[in-house]
Amino acid sequence: MDSLGDTLWDVVICGTGLQQSLLALSLSRSGKSILHIDPNNYYGGADAAFSLQEAETWASSITAATDNDRGTFKSASITKPDGNTGLSFPRAYTLALSPQVIHARSKLLSQLVSSRAYRHVEFLAVGSFYIFKPTTRSSQKPSLVRIPSTREDVFFTTAIPTKAKRGLMKFLKFVLGYDSEQQLETWQPYADGPLADFLKNEFKMDAELQTYILALTLSLDGLITTRDGLSTIYRHLTSMGVFGPGFAAVYPKWGGISEVAQVACRAGAVGGAVYMLATGIREMEMSGDSIELRLTSGDTVKTRMLVRNDKNAEVGNGVSRLAAIVGSPLKSLFEALVEGAPLPAVAVITFPAGSLMTTSGKAYDYPVYAFAHSSDTGECPVGQSILYLTTSTTPDAKEILAQSLQLLSEAIDADHIPLSLFQMYHEHGRGSVASRPDGSIFNFPDASLSLLFDDSTLEPVHEAWKQVMGEAEVDTDYMTFPDREGVMDDEDMYD
Amino acid sequence: MADQGGSAHGIARASRVRTEEQRKVELDKIAKYRELEDQVRSSVARGDTGPDLFQLTSKLLRLNPEYYTVWNVRRRLLTSGLLSKPSAASSPLTASLTASPTATTTPPSAASSSSSLSATQPSHASPTAGRSGTTADSPVDEAKTSTADATPRAAAVVAVVAGQKKDFDILKSELEFTIPLLLDSPKCYWIWSYRLWLLQQVIDRLSVPVARRVWQEELGLASKMLTRDRRNFHAWGYRRHVVAQLESPRLGGGSMVEAEFEYTTRMIRMDLSNFSAWHSRSKLIPRLLGERGADDSTRKGFLDEELGLIREALNVGPEDQSLWYYHQFLILNLVNPVGHPTLTPAFTLEDRVTYVTREIQDIKELLEDYDDVKLIYEALLEYTLYLGQLQGRKLDGAEKDELAEWLQKLKKLDPMRNGRWTELERECGLVEMESFGN
Repeated sequence: MDSLGDTLWDVVICGTGLQQSLLALSLSRSGKSILHIDPNNYYGGADAAFSLQEAETWASSITAATDNDRGTFKSASITKPDGNTGLSFPRAYTLALSPQVIHARSKLLSQLVSSRAYRHVEFLAVGSFYIFKPTTRSSQKPSLVRIPSTREDVFFTTAIPTKAKRGLMKFLKFVLGYDSEQQLETWQPYADGPLADFLKNEFKMDAELQTYILALTLSLDGLITTRDGLSTIYRHLTSMGVFGPGFAAVYPKWGGISEVAQVACRAGAVGGAVYMLATGIREMEMSGDSIELRLTSGDTVKTRMLVRNDKNAEVGNGVSRLAAIVGSPLKSLFEALVEGAPLPAVAVITFPAGSLMTTSGKAYDYPVYAFAHSSDTGECPVGQSILYLTTSTTPDAKEILAQSLQLLSEAIDADHIPLSLFQMYHEHGRGSVASRPDGSIFNFPDASLSLLFDDSTLEPVHEAWKQVMGEAEVDTDYMTFPDREGVMDDEDMYD
Repeated sequence: MADQGGSAHGIARASRVRTEEQRKVELDKIAKYRELEDQVRSSVARGDTGPDLFQLTSKLLRLNPEYYTVWNVRRRLLTSGLLSKPSAASSPLTASLTASPTATTTPPSAASSSSSLSATQPSHASPTAGRSGTTADSPVDEAKTSTADATPRAAAVVAVVAGQKKDFDILKSELEFTIPLLLDSPKCYWIWSYRLWLLQQVIDRLSVPVARRVWQEELGLASKMLTRDRRNFHAWGYRRHVVAQLESPRLGGGSMVEAEFEYTTRMIRMDLSNFSAWHSRSKLIPRLLGERGADDSTRKGFLDEELGLIREALNVGPEDQSLWYYHQFLILNLVNPVGHPTLTPAFTLEDRVTYVTREIQDIKELLEDYDDVKLIYEALLEYTLYLGQLQGRKLDGAEKDELAEWLQKLKKLDPMRNGRWTELERECGLVEMESFGN
């Protein structure tokens, strides 16, 4: 049997998060010798998705971690009510650690198509985006209002007065041409300031309309810049209807991004890469042109290049997340509201900054975002749903998330608050944000905390690919492959 | 290869650059196609009628659904053998079916497409002989067998039922055959024509409840095609034809006006910019109100609702011509009551003036936020002139000032039609004759 140590590997990739996995996919036809390892015994890294058993194991490991080997996760805890709640067996669930939704026009999807990896992923529709409206004097219970983002939505909604509708239409039209010279002049002065100011000054939008627009950006601090905000809303608007009527974003079935990472790794394996889970790097030594790695498995390997997560990264304040399995299908969230639209499997709810109060009576200044997943995602059994709540980490975050869960249930159906069958809370720190090439070591930035898939995540992958390919890069199209043999296509009609 | 048969809405034609390899692949495809075509032609020339030729037509039509001669070959195969032989008593029916020109040899022009689609139907219409069913329906059979033995008659019934089952299976499978072709080429006349022919066979050969179910599924298909391309006019015309059949006594139907009206509402909700949906809606309204037995106050209420709806739509889409078209339909209903069907026959002149005046006011509000949309100015112009006509008076000073202002705007926004705007200025007495050539 060949020993791992016999080869001079072209690249060793450490970690199977999305970026490393996409790198493996991009190299899957290159003929390069690739050893792909992960210290975890599961794929996906920070983008992983767990069965309940795996989630419990993971949470324990986070709690048990000492300050020395503390990574980007902390304060993980699991709550399960006692008795027979209707919780099914552990493998019936897939909890995504870092759920994200992907705009139809995202570059990730076009790369998955051109690399043919899309054939192994099933994409589900992300339907309505809602705003949470707290109890007011005139309404006894909280409610959810759908955010209109197409002309037809604006026409149909009763939540916005006539004149405000015209203002909203003007803004939507503006965004569609926002990178033209004329529009650029209008927003350049506001480019690095908050989008909210731009909306107020240039479009005379009142606070309510501003929250509608901001909610479409899923901005974690609510302070997204005009430049980034316009770009995100532009992508949302132009993604509408691309894959079918009524939706602008998709979610991969069976755990979201983790599924994409697994499919990418599988493609890497088909292309000849060797995979080893539960294997990390114990020691590293530069020797001439190559790097010598002593792995935790006991093997010693030599490689030309190493790709990994940045070990020098400082971990700062990130996000707090609460994943709750509830015993109700929450049907009203997953209706197809447009003729011919598929039934959505994911709904997005925004609690705007200031709409929630801490127990000490202060208004909570950060937005909270909730993803509701139906059983169509494959993440829970029929009759149940998963609510993923996210907010920036603050001292009040944990309590606020619990409150949001309760209020969300009330807003959906105040008369039938579903039972919470399982809850997992954790904090995900913010690590490095940029890639850091370092000679023959390429350091990927930390996993993105963004709730909307951020295309800029793809750039470091391309950079790493270029470095691995070296001169061969010039003649090759990045992430563009023909189908492997045996795949069906139109040509069969001619036989 | 099957073409889209004209561009699908919103998709640009792309010119392709071919590599040498792609060119070879295409030459290969062409050679295979030609070979297939030769096989079909020679088989037909030999007078073949077997399943081999049928399979060949399937292959060829998948590659080129526009090859209408081959559709005719297929039809003849069906009527001359694959579909059940009619009993001797109904042979005149068979003769009429094969003799009538099913596919027109010249492509119907776009304007008359819906009429040509429905024109294929009358050529098959033979009301009494069309009803296949038990032998009791056929008077000739009845006469022939009334004094005969029970056994041959029972056997005849069994044979007819078996024949119907066979026909049903064949016709269903043929309908399914056309589906992927339609999905690829949703505007190919020949596929639609073949489908219609099959559906007519369904009416002629199968029992009423079975036939009705098939036609109802057809309505489902029409909806699906319209969801894929809301402005596929073939699909709208087709839908109207299917609805008309389902409403007809031949399929035991009743009026479907309410459901169809609701359908236009759903289509509009899906996409405001839909001429065909608004047009259908306008055509359905008179019948709808008639069937509802609407009295004058109900009619007024209905008009108010429609005006409210279109006003909301214009509020978000003033640049959309299909919306203005519908608004104009409603206004003309108020302005042209003499000699034209109107939704509100009980309206007095005063009522009409009130409504038109209010509409003009509401449209002016749009100018607050949309000051560069030419269709708004055109509407204001037109409706102000209507108002004058309605009241049988000339425009007053204030109105003339407004008109002049709007025409100035239109000259800026739509300079290509300056000739028209200038002429309107003259007609309304807004400029002196000497300014000709400004």
